[in-house]
Amino acid sequence: MIKTTEKSVFKLPKSLKAGMKFPFCAGCDHGVAIRLVAEVLDEMNLREKTIAVASIGCSVMLYDYLDTDCVEAPHGRALAAATGVKRTNKDKFVLTYQGDGDFASIGLAESLHAALRGEKVSAICINNTTYGMTGGQAGPTTIMGQITKTSPNGRNEEYYGYPIKIAEQVALCDGTAYSARCSLDSIANIKKTKEAIRKTFEVQLQGLGFGFVEILSTCPTNWHLTPQESHERVRNELFQVYPLGVYKEV
Amino acid sequence: MTKTLTTGNHAIAQAAINAGCDGYFGYPITPQSEIGEFMSKKMQELERAYVCAESEIAAINMVLGACSTGAKAMTSSSSCAVALMQESLSYIAADELPVVLVSVMRAGPGLGYIYPSQGDYNQATIGGGNGDYKIIVLAPSTVQECIDLTYKSFYLAQKYRNPTILLADGLLAQMMEPVEFNEYPYPEISIEDWALTGAKNRDSRAIYSLGPQEDRLVERVETLFNKYKQIEENEVEFEEYQTDNADLIVTCFGSIARNVKSAINQCREKGLKVGMLRPITLYPFPTKKYQELAKTTKKFLTIEMNMGQMVRDVRLAVNGQVPVEFFGKSVGQWLSVEDIAAEIERLNS
Repeated sequence: MIKTTEKSVFKLPKSLKAGMKFPFCAGCDHGVAIRLVAEVLDEMNLREKTIAVASIGCSVMLYDYLDTDCVEAPHGRALAAATGVKRTNKDKFVLTYQGDGDFASIGLAESLHAALRGEKVSAICINNTTYGMTGGQAGPTTIMGQITKTSPNGRNEEYYGYPIKIAEQVALCDGTAYSARCSLDSIANIKKTKEAIRKTFEVQLQGLGFGFVEILSTCPTNWHLTPQESHERVRNELFQVYPLGVYKEV
Repeated sequence: MTKTLTTGNHAIAQAAINAGCDGYFGYPITPQSEIGEFMSKKMQELERAYVCAESEIAAINMVLGACSTGAKAMTSSSSCAVALMQESLSYIAADELPVVLVSVMRAGPGLGYIYPSQGDYNQATIGGGNGDYKIIVLAPSTVQECIDLTYKSFYLAQKYRNPTILLADGLLAQMMEPVEFNEYPYPEISIEDWALTGAKNRDSRAIYSLGPQEDRLVERVETLFNKYKQIEENEVEFEEYQTDNADLIVTCFGSIARNVKSAINQCREKGLKVGMLRPITLYPFPTKKYQELAKTTKKFLTIEMNMGQMVRDVRLAVNGQVPVEFFGKSVGQWLSVEDIAAEIERLNS
């Protein structure tokens, strides 16, 4: 007679809505990033006091996945909205989830000024080096030589200038308590990303200042690569331009 | 109650505090910078939220965030900078957030100058944001009304969960008048069934305007317009002055009504049958009142410190029943009592 025991080895975090399904393209890292956010919210018991701020882009439907209160901000203004939420609700936990276009192009002023003011909020920025939702155009983080729908000959200095190093820029702000760049290309890096997310949440709870993590992510559809090739691109091309690491920790 | 001598800007700021404003977010622009200056001091004393925003775009989105949690929050600005806020006003209307925006008009277009003007009637009542939406607009003509209508702005914003603009101008903002700071006279409106307060002992809530499902988007806009219908039925406010048996009704809004009244008094002394209708709510517009008066008067004269903006709403309301004339200049100081009285006499001759 064989005796069996059941052990749960995998379940959805409570901070994700029951029955929700990510609509992201195959191989896109958004789902992994959002799951990590939800896991850390669970582990730090923050779900019930969280007010999340959604941004514009593939990140927009955050409220369809996260089982927390959530407000949508106009394009680029997530950290302004988060400032308004936090300043009038100091006991709440406030996070933004944005893409690199939202955070570092149209919203650069709002992002850096939130960091300069040392807003006690946590910001997560997905950097996939393109405008994903609109179909893969050149963005602020598109790397030199990268071919996109609006850089058909590859990004060059003459027409496009240079990409922004977001985590480094945020680290330069005196109000920043934590700034790191992570990746989701391997199990080890996924674990590191989760720890960085935890850190951005902790500095908010400790009142130390602005918490930020930039997550290098894939966009297989617009990169015209397979999911596996996409993670190889992250390792082989993006790590050179956007080195992983903690750029500021107070 | 004792009277205090104060400016329109300070009256608005103190009234906002009395109304229970939890957060002020703003960026300086003449002629309304004193509102932000006053708030920077008083809000910190009261340990309420105050942020010197990096731009008007940031300021209005801070207000969006604050109001999504049910906080009473506001910003104040002027003309070219209110133009920067139009995208967010559309979001705020779609999200049904109780935002209060104080818009103190200066002369435009472009950078223009800080002269008093009423050139932003269209900007406030029609707006430059995208899509089908409406904003409640209240227009004071005295410093006392700056107080009373600031109170009302917070109340209507909360009551209808709708953005509300207090539309003043540089003249009103900078001039001093004796006023009474009565207490905030309106009931507090519960935010419990919609505000983002953390998903504790209830389902999570989301406030957003994205509508990928066509039927849901249609339903949302229809809900908004049912609300606007309620606003139009319940909240129209205007001032009528000597309209009984008036052959000519002068119609105007905001600070220029002061000169119009003086001109009407002069003309009445000369035996001219002239009166005034002043919309206080620019949206909802007192359309029915115009239609009613059009049955008894012979003519309307719209006077504005602009090249003719409200006159279009007057003509739509009057709908050809009687003629609607216009008299205005883009900058207000040229519309003296004498100028207005001369125009009234010209139309009567």
